[in-house]
Amino acid sequence: MTSRFAQAVWVLFGVAAVTFMLSPLILLVLFSFGQNSLASFPMRGLTVDWYGRLFANADFRVALKNSAVISVSVGAVSVIVGNLAAFAIARLRRRHAGPLLAAATLPLMMPPLVLALALLSAYSALGLSLGPSTVVPGQVVFIQPFVILVVYARMADFDETLLDSARDLGASPLQAFFTVTLPIIRPTVIGAALIAMALSLDEFIITYYTIGGGLTLPTLIWGMLRRSVDPSINALATLILCATVGATMLAIRATRYRS
Amino acid sequence: MPRNPVILALFCLPAALIFLLFFVGPFAYFVVMSFWSVSLFKLSRNFTFINYIDIYTDYLYSLGYTFAIALIIGVITTTLAFAFAYLIRFRAGRLGTLLLFVTLLTMFGGYLVKIYAWRTILGTTGILNTGLEGLGLIDEPLPWLLYNSGAVVTTLTHFLLPFAVLPIYGSLRGISEAQLAAARDLGARSTRTLVDIVLPQCQTGIIVAFMLAFFIAAGDYVTPRLVGGTATAMVGNFVESQFITALDAPQGSALAVAILAVSAGTILILRAVMHRALAPR
Repeated sequence: MTSRFAQAVWVLFGVAAVTFMLSPLILLVLFSFGQNSLASFPMRGLTVDWYGRLFANADFRVALKNSAVISVSVGAVSVIVGNLAAFAIARLRRRHAGPLLAAATLPLMMPPLVLALALLSAYSALGLSLGPSTVVPGQVVFIQPFVILVVYARMADFDETLLDSARDLGASPLQAFFTVTLPIIRPTVIGAALIAMALSLDEFIITYYTIGGGLTLPTLIWGMLRRSVDPSINALATLILCATVGATMLAIRATRYRS
Repeated sequence: MPRNPVILALFCLPAALIFLLFFVGPFAYFVVMSFWSVSLFKLSRNFTFINYIDIYTDYLYSLGYTFAIALIIGVITTTLAFAFAYLIRFRAGRLGTLLLFVTLLTMFGGYLVKIYAWRTILGTTGILNTGLEGLGLIDEPLPWLLYNSGAVVTTLTHFLLPFAVLPIYGSLRGISEAQLAAARDLGARSTRTLVDIVLPQCQTGIIVAFMLAFFIAAGDYVTPRLVGGTATAMVGNFVESQFITALDAPQGSALAVAILAVSAGTILILRAVMHRALAPR
């Protein structure tokens, strides 16, 4: 009897936890298609008007362009830089690699507000003018640790005898890299790039303080939230959600990333 | 793969440069600035402790409040995350993969998007109130759902849960079923198995999960701003207003350094306590 009772408690807990985790996001998507001007029950029917309104908004198009430029740049820079570092760290003995990895992930422990204000103060002390180009390095600082961790995990159990045999058969180091190493790690690299772009697209605090009044999708949401009750926020939030979740799903598939 | 130390160092150079120029440098400047002062909107670069003395006289309550709420969020998030990770690992069978997938999906669901979602759910004209009214369970909206500490705790717990589940699940994966079966065969009750076998082996995961939840909650300012009320201003809100409205960056940076120091101290103490509490008896 006790074990059946325990089983029931676990099922109940599982359902409650999944509901808690998913329902806010599902409701958001649902109401982005609702005719109500407020997100409230009962829903009056389905419409795509809020999306139409959003795309007609000039600010949205500016924000979309900025977000695209920033997330592609951040993705490219952090993947190149993070990969090089992860390769090198994976060559070290574990005893040296551990502290290096811990140091590399320090920016993840820093509250984004502190990082944002520190960057803002440093930029203004140096007299730099703010814009998308000052946002990119600020985002790369906390996104490159993710890339390093994901790629390092793959490189740490890379079978090096494959490379030795390529070299023995007369391949140059570069040839060996392009014909052996790259095909093996390509899925991980693609997955890391997608995760980096998803994180960049969603980043709000650092972007807000270092873009100097420019717009990205999250800072646009912030502005809309503070101005008025505008149901096209639901549509905008849904678009960001789809982009980040879509990128993550592709990344999970690419890396078969578990845990 | 090259093993030459010079080449390895060159590989690390770009990442290290970004780390130094855009993390260590600005943060060092930030800490130094907390010992400067501002008078008549001009930055004075003379070394002073005045900002830290002001924290003691003016911001002690908010520091305490932030600490308490971060602790509550840390404990709730870690407990829920442990139960959920345990469910995935030992109880859910093949459904476990699906639950893990849900965790990964909600992890990247968007920071501002989630806070906004909770605001639309909990408001007086929000989804929960109108839904309950529609079902006839309540006659008028419950105003106490939003704009208080409870809403801040709910929202941040929701945001942090997936980040806390993954490290705990990671360490639960290392526990072998054979050990659990052995304990059961030798007559151990399930609580005893949990305390003696499971908890000691997933210490690291639990501590990482707690650290993450506590640090992020202690440093947050957007959540209290959007779903908290007038009485729930956390240190982050004062840091922001010192920088942006009061234009007293030194005072703001001193506040930020203070909450970081308190958080780091708490983590060190808690780690020692948990290390002892979770050790096998």
